[in-house]
Amino acid sequence: MKHFRHGVASGDPLPDAVVIWTRVTPTRAALPGSGKGPRVRVRWQVSTSPRFTRVVRRGTFATGAGRDHTVKLDVTGLQPATTYYYRFGYHRQWSRIGRTRTAPAPGSAPANLRFGVVSCANLQAGWFAAYRGLAARNDLDAVIHLGDYLYEYAPGQYGMGNADVDVRRHVPARETVTLADYRRRHAQYKQDRDLAALHARHPVIVTWDDHEVTNDAWAGGAENHDTGERSWARRRRHAHQAYDEWMPVRMSGTARLDGKQLYRRLAFGELAELTMLDLRTYRSQQVATPSPAVGDPGRTIAGREQLDWLKDGLSPDRPLWRLVGNPVMIAPVTFGALPQRLQAAVNQVTGIVPDGGAAYNTDQWDGYTADRRELFEHIADQGVRDVVFLTGDIHSAWACDLPLDPATYPVMGTTAGVEFVCASVTSNNLKDITNTPPRTSSVAVENVLKTANRHVKHLDFDSHGFSVLDLTPARAQMDWYVIGSRADRDTAITWSASWATDAGTGRVRRAKGPVA
Amino acid sequence: MNTPFERGLADLRTGRRTLLKAGAAGLAISAASGVLSPGRAAAGPARRCYVLVIDGTRPEELDLGVTPNLTALRDGGLRFPRAQSLPVMETIPNHVMMMTGVRPIISGVPANSIYDRALGEVRDLDRETDIRVTTLLEQLRAAGHSTGTVLSKDYLYGVFGGRATYRWEPFPTLPVTEHSPDVVTVQALLAMVRDHDPAFVFANLGDIDRFGHADLTGGSLRVNRNAALADTDAQVGLFLDHLRRSGKWASSMVIVLADHSMDWSHPDRVVSLAGRFAADPLLAGRVQIADNGGADLCYWTGSPGDRAAAVAAMSSIARATPGVLEVHQPRDLSLGANAGDLVVYCKAGWRFSDPTPVANPIPGNHGHPATKPIPFFVAGGARGLPTGVSSASVTTMDVAPTVAAFFGIGAPATGWQGRALISRGASQG
Repeated sequence: MKHFRHGVASGDPLPDAVVIWTRVTPTRAALPGSGKGPRVRVRWQVSTSPRFTRVVRRGTFATGAGRDHTVKLDVTGLQPATTYYYRFGYHRQWSRIGRTRTAPAPGSAPANLRFGVVSCANLQAGWFAAYRGLAARNDLDAVIHLGDYLYEYAPGQYGMGNADVDVRRHVPARETVTLADYRRRHAQYKQDRDLAALHARHPVIVTWDDHEVTNDAWAGGAENHDTGERSWARRRRHAHQAYDEWMPVRMSGTARLDGKQLYRRLAFGELAELTMLDLRTYRSQQVATPSPAVGDPGRTIAGREQLDWLKDGLSPDRPLWRLVGNPVMIAPVTFGALPQRLQAAVNQVTGIVPDGGAAYNTDQWDGYTADRRELFEHIADQGVRDVVFLTGDIHSAWACDLPLDPATYPVMGTTAGVEFVCASVTSNNLKDITNTPPRTSSVAVENVLKTANRHVKHLDFDSHGFSVLDLTPARAQMDWYVIGSRADRDTAITWSASWATDAGTGRVRRAKGPVA
Repeated sequence: MNTPFERGLADLRTGRRTLLKAGAAGLAISAASGVLSPGRAAAGPARRCYVLVIDGTRPEELDLGVTPNLTALRDGGLRFPRAQSLPVMETIPNHVMMMTGVRPIISGVPANSIYDRALGEVRDLDRETDIRVTTLLEQLRAAGHSTGTVLSKDYLYGVFGGRATYRWEPFPTLPVTEHSPDVVTVQALLAMVRDHDPAFVFANLGDIDRFGHADLTGGSLRVNRNAALADTDAQVGLFLDHLRRSGKWASSMVIVLADHSMDWSHPDRVVSLAGRFAADPLLAGRVQIADNGGADLCYWTGSPGDRAAAVAAMSSIARATPGVLEVHQPRDLSLGANAGDLVVYCKAGWRFSDPTPVANPIPGNHGHPATKPIPFFVAGGARGLPTGVSSASVTTMDVAPTVAAFFGIGAPATGWQGRALISRGASQG
């Protein structure tokens, strides 16, 4: 029997360490979420050669049903900015070979860094061609996943387009609620061919958004959680446990499954530092409709402790590019007169336009403006430049300046940084909801939005795909690549748009073409 | 001798410096005593370095499209986007850090304005004796390189005094003023370089800062500020043209940076601590404040035995004051005893006005952390100079070691805290 059915993965690269991951299936009964199977030891090797002619680190790892037979360890003692290969062994089988790469050394000055950027991969809504595109690249230091790595829905609940067509059906065939449910859902996603290829090819740096637990989660509950699904605390604990078991991530700085804290920081020499946020675990409940409560200082999206930690990391003394892995949009978005006929569809994708046409998506930073104001004031007070928010969640591509004051921005142009938002891997966008061809009905909405929000420079409501973020000391550039039909496993991938920000400017500009 | 220019005039009257023949525009340059034949050698120096401080410029202002000469010079050289001014982000201390390579705790110059305990008054640090260490100007002269200063502000002229081989003397042609316009300053720079060709010149162009301070549209349109940017850029263009046409460019390194950035406050965003301190029974009448725009330096003048309690009280009151960003012990900022007992920073968009709420009426200010980012780049035609964009963290303190590396000289006995941004080997081609 095949013992390694869920691929291999690596993540959270440090200059001298990286997390490697797999799951072993030691017996036929030891299926994900089953709670069955013996405790076993799995061998692991790390080499500088894909043929493992020079193994630099090796060992064994004990796993069992208590951790769903996942294997996750922090390999230390590695060299910085170095490509490594790794594999796992059980009985007489080896896993597929994974490739990973450590971060540059502290104090070093890399000429370049390049990251894949993705979010929002709903398996039922289509094939993960975007992951295929990233897996095919040889030029990435890591892939940043901004959340909604998986979805909780049952078959028929959230599929492709307005009709919710399931291109593929979720396993288990119900909404995930229990620990076993979440484990099985993770296992299903890990068996996707394209996602497995991505994991085997690049280290990932992940954070979660809401769907890793359930829709529109907040500290005390979620839109998609009800009392029939037992306690919220229990459900979230189980979802987080499965996440820790199945993802190559350090929680509370450890790969030992004993951590709780997902937000963390990774440095890449003097060129960049990446702060990954958790904007679900500590946030106040969303306000249902726009109201003065969005600005209530008693409400928070980040939580006091995380917000202070975030501010500490946004300092002129830190590496040049201060990247923030930001699960939900931080750019303020207000509306002009949106065509009435499109309001419902726009709102279904973005949540931006509640009935009555007010101007907030209360699930994003727009619903927690006190936190945003405090953060942006900190950036201005400390003279912090070159802050780049990397965002997912909203199933569309955006390039925005981040106005310190939206009212004076058109005159002054003063910003707190910029924001690049990647499109979704598969989750529905505006054209999917309106069931119209690309670049038809959405164009009017995009133009209305850009007119009403002068800091929004690029907006594509129609595309799915991935992004590539390229960093040099001179500029940060985001390239958007788009896929064809989500229903076509082998759909073509093409470059769509590129936007950049030059060091020191705090403004985005259109770039001529992709970096590679 | 109350003003720096009056002290400079005394230097000439007493023979400490010699007034040389004025340049074509009637600009006067003096030479240090002992420089009996100040005329340039036939071939001129083998290597030349010019440090141009575009006072108070924000780094992003070189991307507004109004500074073609500076922007082109930056893009053709080695640029440092992470460059920062150092505390206190004011003109005098950062110029001193450029020329000494050390922080104020060593140089003795922590701010523009301090409370001088010996004199019992608040004063500018504008005296030659205020700098306690060997400067780059003295090091270069000792190594046989001629030097020059072209400083547009009276307190800079004063604090660097007679250290340079050649010094522009603004007062014969200008009324006693605090600042000369860049159009005059650059003419002086050109006259010095044409007539005396020092190997090293340290120049300050003050217009962008001065117009920034006074720009009442600074919080919105920045009309005057942007006009100053364009004008200063044109003046720098004249200087660069001279270097290229005269052939000096091929042996030159040009370092361009600002001493600090600039922030604009709103009329209703003023912090005045003096009144709040005066309302405290312990502090009343026993605190002096040196207002440095975006930073207040607070000095306890009461009994030494009460100092700890007084500093705690000042700190508590300052922290509770709207518009205050941070409170620091001077030692935590490497500022030294001259900076007093407490340093208080304001938030972006605010300013201090002490001792009274109307004492500081100008909208543009610096000194607080919002004004740390500065433009900083190294350019020139000398062989071996690096180009590109660097992710390194650099500060004003790195100027002295960089210039020294260019000329192949080492650190003074008091050492450097900054570091060279070019390698000695590379700079020698």
